[in-house]
Amino acid sequence: MLNYNQPIKDQKSYQGLQISEINPIMKLIIRGKKRDFLSAVGKSLEMVLPTKANTSTQSEKLTALWLSPDEWMIFSNNALEEKTNTYDTETLLNKNICNLNLGAVTDVTDQYVRISLKGDKIYDLFQTGSPFNFNEFKQKIGSVTQTIIAKVDVIIHNQNQNEVNLFVRRSFSEHLFSWMDDSASRL
Amino acid sequence: MFLINCPFCGEREQSEFKAGGEAHIERPKQPTELSDDEWAEFLFMRKNIKGVQFERWNHAHGCRKWFNIARDTSNDQIKAVYKMGQKPPVK
Repeated sequence: MLNYNQPIKDQKSYQGLQISEINPIMKLIIRGKKRDFLSAVGKSLEMVLPTKANTSTQSEKLTALWLSPDEWMIFSNNALEEKTNTYDTETLLNKNICNLNLGAVTDVTDQYVRISLKGDKIYDLFQTGSPFNFNEFKQKIGSVTQTIIAKVDVIIHNQNQNEVNLFVRRSFSEHLFSWMDDSASRL
Repeated sequence: MFLINCPFCGEREQSEFKAGGEAHIERPKQPTELSDDEWAEFLFMRKNIKGVQFERWNHAHGCRKWFNIARDTSNDQIKAVYKMGQKPPVK
């Protein structure tokens, strides 16, 4: 997060839709299969990892997204106060998971960009470029999906009613953002 | 275009998946003892039948897990979806 060049510089606002990047946010990918792994993560973070497909769990500071049966993304709920490259959560997980060979912890803070979408037209926007059926997704707060929007891989998290987090790889973020801007202007 | 029921994520559109070719091809236990023809048979020769075929698929833009599908190649109807390591369902 040091020397971080923000790929998305402005925020867009339309009737019923606001799009902006949120940073700095800590993001980690953790992987593991063993039962010990799940309990070690639970104890370290004081939160339970979601084991049901396409769901998420939340604690005061962190949110965990289910990505695959042995893969989760953990991100900080609020923007970090200072710019840094070391995160307490990562250090803690490294100590309790990596050092004990229970699983893997990867810092993806600079790899993924978190884009926040707000408003009642979010799914109208997604509909213009994604093959995913959002009907059930939008009913359930906390649901997660990995899919494609405009041929770009994204992770979508239904944070709240009319509030969605979208994670996209940094190198694709500028393109996706301008694509969403263009698409939203014609909704 | 068709829908595939990923055993991990649920029903998704085909464009999220990548096809991985024929399933249940066993690697020869002693590759060094095979003739070139036998090795080529293992390496390259695939069935391309009209009817139910067992295939490997990968949910590339989702959970990135591999699984097997029994698909009717004549009409893209999916007869069964089952996880890696499981035996194919009887036709």
